[in-house]
Amino acid sequence: MRIVPILLIAVLTPLAAQEIKMPASLDKLAAKADETVDVTLDGPLLKLVGKFLSSEGEDQPARKILSGLQSITVKSYEFSSEGQYDPADLEEIRAQVKAPAWSRIVGVRSKKDRENVDVYFKDGGNGNLGGIVVLCAEPRELTIVSVVGTIDPSQLASLGGQFGIPRFDFEIGATWRDAK
Amino acid sequence: MTSRLLPLFLAAAGAAAGAGHEFDRVVKAIEQQYGVKRTHIPLMGLANFVVKVAHPAGSAGLKLAVFEDLPDAGDPAELNRFMTDKICTGRLHPMIVTRERPSGESTYILTGELGKSTDLFIATFEPHEATVIEVTVNMETLLKMLAAPGKARGMFESDRDRDDGR
Repeated sequence: MRIVPILLIAVLTPLAAQEIKMPASLDKLAAKADETVDVTLDGPLLKLVGKFLSSEGEDQPARKILSGLQSITVKSYEFSSEGQYDPADLEEIRAQVKAPAWSRIVGVRSKKDRENVDVYFKDGGNGNLGGIVVLCAEPRELTIVSVVGTIDPSQLASLGGQFGIPRFDFEIGATWRDAK
Repeated sequence: MTSRLLPLFLAAAGAAAGAGHEFDRVVKAIEQQYGVKRTHIPLMGLANFVVKVAHPAGSAGLKLAVFEDLPDAGDPAELNRFMTDKICTGRLHPMIVTRERPSGESTYILTGELGKSTDLFIATFEPHEATVIEVTVNMETLLKMLAAPGKARGMFESDRDRDDGR
């Protein structure tokens, strides 16, 4: 009888932690981009890295956050001129991060820098996040970040600037708490 | 005591042999894909000795294979298919992939055996040249690579490559 909840957890956990499927159109973008960087960090590697970060000082938040992560995927494209990518290229990703499972927590439209940033959070329950997707579009640059796993929002900023993830100019954890 | 040490020794020996096997497998796959043979590098043994002693970029052990006169390794989609289907199987997982369109250069950094020291495979393809490096890096070096993935390839460039601005 006890096997039923175990089986349910085993079946549902992978579903809850499903990764965002990167659209095939991104391969075409890679052919147009001057520079592309793809980073794929899976659970075993993240856990290993987390173990070697110090449990004190500035490494502590990163160590804590890595322990709950299952994967980090970053795709970054730099173009020599503007208009090389179509905003529609991101629609396939946006279609996967819709309510009720996902919420768009941050949407920044900068007229001056012509930079658009969208941050989507997946509710992981117990005040934690279950996943994050960041879409960062500039005229000559496009960055897509997908983080899967249990994340404490207050630790989130420590991921910015690491693993190819852009630094966040806003207090992302507070934004999540405000939205709840 | 001996009976307890023996499995540990066998496991360590197996891991080391496995890493060597992966390098040979990668080299063979490139040779088959492009119909070329790896270029003989004179004094490679000396390079190995220097790496073991000096440990540049926190590395230990080094295997290097260079391939010249490739028919065409410049198509990113075809290269990606080759890497996914033939190379990134079994123990090797892609960690960082970078491409520079102007030079036609693609670099794949793959992880092998994970641990306090991690086996890395760095495969760099230019339209008519390829280089494969197997190296064991310490955690500090791995963390540096992950902090700035776009610059990770540069950590294993030779001085000549850096001077050439490659």
